[in-house]
Amino acid sequence: MVTTIEEPRIRPEWLVGGALTLLAAIVIIVVTLVVGAGEPEPVVVPADADELTAGTCAADLRQPHWVPDDVRHAVAECPADISAGIGRTTAEDHLGTWITYMLDGPENAETFRGGPGSAWPDGDVRAGDYHPAASVVYVAYLDSAELADELSGDNVTVEWEALTESGLDVRVTRVDNNGYGPVRLEWTDDVGSYLLLGTVGRTPTGSAGATVPELIRMADSVAAEDE
Amino acid sequence: MPSTRTWLQAGGGTVVVALIAAAVVQAVNSTAMWVSNDPVGECGATSGGAVVAAQNVLSASTGLAPVDGSWDDGSTVATEAFQAYNGLPVSGCVDSGTWTTMRALLVSVCDPEFDCRGPDHRVRYAGPEGVREAYFAENDCDWGSYVLPGVAGSPVASHTIIALSRDAVTEIECEG
Repeated sequence: MVTTIEEPRIRPEWLVGGALTLLAAIVIIVVTLVVGAGEPEPVVVPADADELTAGTCAADLRQPHWVPDDVRHAVAECPADISAGIGRTTAEDHLGTWITYMLDGPENAETFRGGPGSAWPDGDVRAGDYHPAASVVYVAYLDSAELADELSGDNVTVEWEALTESGLDVRVTRVDNNGYGPVRLEWTDDVGSYLLLGTVGRTPTGSAGATVPELIRMADSVAAEDE
Repeated sequence: MPSTRTWLQAGGGTVVVALIAAAVVQAVNSTAMWVSNDPVGECGATSGGAVVAAQNVLSASTGLAPVDGSWDDGSTVATEAFQAYNGLPVSGCVDSGTWTTMRALLVSVCDPEFDCRGPDHRVRYAGPEGVREAYFAENDCDWGSYVLPGVAGSPVASHTIIALSRDAVTEIECEG
């Protein structure tokens, strides 16, 4: 008796169906990637601004717990970094620790295209269209109980402001150029002395950088939540 | 008739008072140096130590290079951009208002009550191509510019302190 065993055959419709399924999966993946690339990254605002320096040498530093919403990241520089950057022997144990908070958004981004020169249209330059990235610099001088010398000048105003949360007084120095210009906040507490520096920048669409109330709130947050 | 001892005490006291007064005047002049500088640029000096100081700030704030103590078109454009962003009248001239604005950007890298000897003030900007920074020294003798390699151009040498107040590009050594 002869038994004929039919070998399994791959039916053409299976091949066609499989190919179509694979093609559809590829299309779905590609479309998802393309659409996803056009969407902005989800904004992750840390609950406490000190998370911005987590894992750096400034992690345990007394620092702002609040920063403006436009701040997305910070760069910490400790005395050894600064000393190395200077390239000349300095007393490292008396150097401050720096945190630079970068502000996000088109008005805060650097707009330089090459070095300054004739390639920069005069009208654009005069309108404030060529400007650096906006940031806020925070410096902590531990074991220091003094402030830097007070600035002076025709366009300088110096006022003392009471910080409502921490109860400290902060010296606010403004170089007030028609509402724009650098702003310095300096204060001391039982641990050291501190400085916040920002610039209210003039741009064609308005202003860049942190506002004075935002800088004051940052300063107030340094000691307010440390307990 | 005052005795010799009295004269010696009076003379010694006078010397001490004079030394204290000189120190105070020196400190005041050093602090005020930035706002009392003569204009730089098309409206003033076009070479020298004050030009180096202005160019050093502009190198950090606008990317101007080189810092060589010679005023040029790039320095003028950089000054105009600096003035516009900081709300100053745009003139291309580093006048007293511009000097004061520049001075406010200098942050001590050193405890305010301690003399770190050497470069002790810094201007820092972060750009997409990296950090731009300039250093200055404020010791007991004078303000000085400290220009980093890659930015300094002859006759300005990097890693030296260039006197701000001198007419020519002159290196100074502050004892601290």
